[in-house]
Amino acid sequence: MANRAQIPNSNSALIAMIADEDTVVGFLLAGVGNVDLRRNTNYLIVDSKTTVKQIEDAFKEFTTREDIAVVLISQYIANMIRFLVDNYNKPVPAILEIPSKDHPYDPAHDSILSRVKYLFSAESVASGRR
Amino acid sequence: MEVADHKTQSLENGQAAEEEVDEIENDNVLQFMDSMDAYLTLVHSLSSTLRQGWLDLASARHSMGAYRLNTALLDHTSHPAATSLLVDEGKEPHFTLCKWRSSGNEKLLLGEEQSSHDKSHPQLRHRGATLLSEEKTSFENKASCEIDDQVQKERSKSLSVFGTLVSPKLRAAQLSFETALETLVEIANTRSEMLRAFDKVNQKSGGSKD
Repeated sequence: MANRAQIPNSNSALIAMIADEDTVVGFLLAGVGNVDLRRNTNYLIVDSKTTVKQIEDAFKEFTTREDIAVVLISQYIANMIRFLVDNYNKPVPAILEIPSKDHPYDPAHDSILSRVKYLFSAESVASGRR
Repeated sequence: MEVADHKTQSLENGQAAEEEVDEIENDNVLQFMDSMDAYLTLVHSLSSTLRQGWLDLASARHSMGAYRLNTALLDHTSHPAATSLLVDEGKEPHFTLCKWRSSGNEKLLLGEEQSSHDKSHPQLRHRGATLLSEEKTSFENKASCEIDDQVQKERSKSLSVFGTLVSPKLRAAQLSFETALETLVEIANTRSEMLRAFDKVNQKSGGSKD
């Protein structure tokens, strides 16, 4: 059980969401919502009452579920759990940071771009020349 | 003289090998830059699409009323997702979006079965090739119309959570978010390509430091 691949080849998988109400409602209109027999959903609606712990738990749950291939997370919410998001490095599920209504996308905070930006830093250029 | 020729030849071979390695490294860097550019372009496009979707949702909320468009109305009974992803794992995972999948696949299967049934009945050939191709085209048109009808039914089912009569702006929001989903899947695939290209570049620079 522990050694099973996370998602079998060419299999159907879900899109999970951790975002504000409007973003989640919009994607639910697009047919992404899933509720299983235990009433577990593939989304978490984040509002002013949602705690950081709840967001962390949802992130950990979605990134360990075998039936989820992509996790959409609003960037401002990802900033609340930045250490978790940046330490995540599995190819599947893919974590995609998306903008929200009140917080536009900032490439400087994107975890994927932060991972690769050091290639463009003065240090890396200097070390390549040595 | 022969020794000098041999030394010149080995020097030339060494230079050629170095040039080849440099070319491969340049290709890797170019691939990485291209994929990063594509990633940023797609994210910018996603931002525009989402903005339109939020605007349409706000308009729908304004016309329908906030009490008719809120998360308290969401369906919490057990139901599968109508839109899902197909994941093809390989060197890098590849994602394919399946919108309103359950209805579309059933109809496609029905179409394939029908065409294979036609092939097993040779008497249709006596009607002439033109008629046969016309029948095939009309069947394909009929199948695609049926699929479109089913997709519309699934869309309406998704909207019906918020009532039978909904604002046209809500339908527009639904289409915007469907487009956003398509862009997100492209972003996911571009992300995989970018990370793979980054690993190649990183590997090379890590190897040269050693």
